[in-house]
Amino acid sequence: MTRDDAALARLDACVLDAHASGAGCGVLAGLYREGGELHLKAGRTDAACFALTHAYVYALEAGDAFLSEAVGAVLKAHGRLD
Amino acid sequence: MSIVDTALLQSVTRPVAAANGLPNGFYTDPEIFEMECERVFRKNWSLIGFGKDVPEPGDAKPVDFLGMPLLLLRTRDNVLRVFQNVCRHRGMILVKEAGPLKGVIRCPYHSWCYSHDGALVTTPHVGGPGRNSDEAIKREELGLIEVRSHVFLDGIYVNVSGDAEPFETYAGGVLDRWAEFADRPLYHGGPDSSFRLELDTNWKLAVENYCESYHLPWVHPGLNSYSRLEDHYNIVARRAHSGQGTVVYNPSPDESGRAFPLFEGLSDKWDTGAEYIALYPNVLLGVHKDHVFSILLEPRGHDRTVEHVEIYYARPEAAGPDFADLRARNTAMWKEVFMEDVGVVEGMHKGRSAPGFDGGRFAPAMDEPTHCFHDWVAHQFGTGS
Repeated sequence: MTRDDAALARLDACVLDAHASGAGCGVLAGLYREGGELHLKAGRTDAACFALTHAYVYALEAGDAFLSEAVGAVLKAHGRLD
Repeated sequence: MSIVDTALLQSVTRPVAAANGLPNGFYTDPEIFEMECERVFRKNWSLIGFGKDVPEPGDAKPVDFLGMPLLLLRTRDNVLRVFQNVCRHRGMILVKEAGPLKGVIRCPYHSWCYSHDGALVTTPHVGGPGRNSDEAIKREELGLIEVRSHVFLDGIYVNVSGDAEPFETYAGGVLDRWAEFADRPLYHGGPDSSFRLELDTNWKLAVENYCESYHLPWVHPGLNSYSRLEDHYNIVARRAHSGQGTVVYNPSPDESGRAFPLFEGLSDKWDTGAEYIALYPNVLLGVHKDHVFSILLEPRGHDRTVEHVEIYYARPEAAGPDFADLRARNTAMWKEVFMEDVGVVEGMHKGRSAPGFDGGRFAPAMDEPTHCFHDWVAHQFGTGS
């Protein structure tokens, strides 16, 4: 397991904990963004865009325009958002 | 319309001296109630809530209006809007609890997201995992369904059918009559100025009772001690609204001489005058020089009604801590008065199960406001010119 894979595994656990504990959408947006970036770094575009979609939605729900625009731009760059 | 006897309804729309009241089925028949949901409530302007329940930009509150899921929303630019509280994807209810929305409205099912002006902003994974668009799903066609709405005296009125006259025309008589109150800021008194009464009665009986003063001496002896029957007058606007007024509204200061601050600049009429109007179909309004109230009648079937009473004041200080005791006294007074009506409106409802009761008659001098309402309801069922 690479360091990034280990980081992803820890992140997955954090995401599950965050959902289970009712963490706010802002927290979820940040976690999914981190996961998306790790997948991108590993060349896993589909997995990245799946995670970044979640980050985008939760950032919109949180009213975090900065994060939603940033993540939206990445999704658009990969042709996953119009 | 076979369950509605149009011959009986013709007698309702006769002049008051010769008219009968609405037939029993209008109070006891669930099928007629279902017809009213469409012909009376959805086709007209009905009250569904209050602006004070969504006080800040971004606030949202779900409302069940006769089984229809609606959403009150105060937009970021402080405009009150009403939408159907349903996702355009699979019909999921969008907002379950009242509260502030920090960002978009996110459907809890598949996370389709809507802006506060109802636009569909994003459709996550709609084209497959991580693919957020699909040719078949045109976001610009799938925004939230807005419901026509209007705010008057902080009440949120809706016309679900979309084809009623503009509210300014529909309620023009009340808007003109109460022009001095219509556009003023109102200050809700807070939790001590709200209460609910749940009644085992048809919603129409609450309207019929409210708009006449004939019952005052018998049902409200305390009120009658300082606002006598002869101090009251009828208000009748055919096919629009009806009610009563009094010329002796003289609230007593408390022991230390304090009284509520007044609405500024009112004409002399309101020095000792107050008026109470039922704006059809489902709101009972009262205006005074120092406070106004709205009673939202929420029908829960043909035989149950919830009255939501909300009291507002003229100045912000009247809604503050220094006037808490006066507000409590005022709320208690109105609650006592409205509770005194419970027995008669519930009794009238029970009476409607008497097969020989022909809808009753109207005392021309005293019951014209009530007959005006019966006539309006009959008209909603296509009777009368």
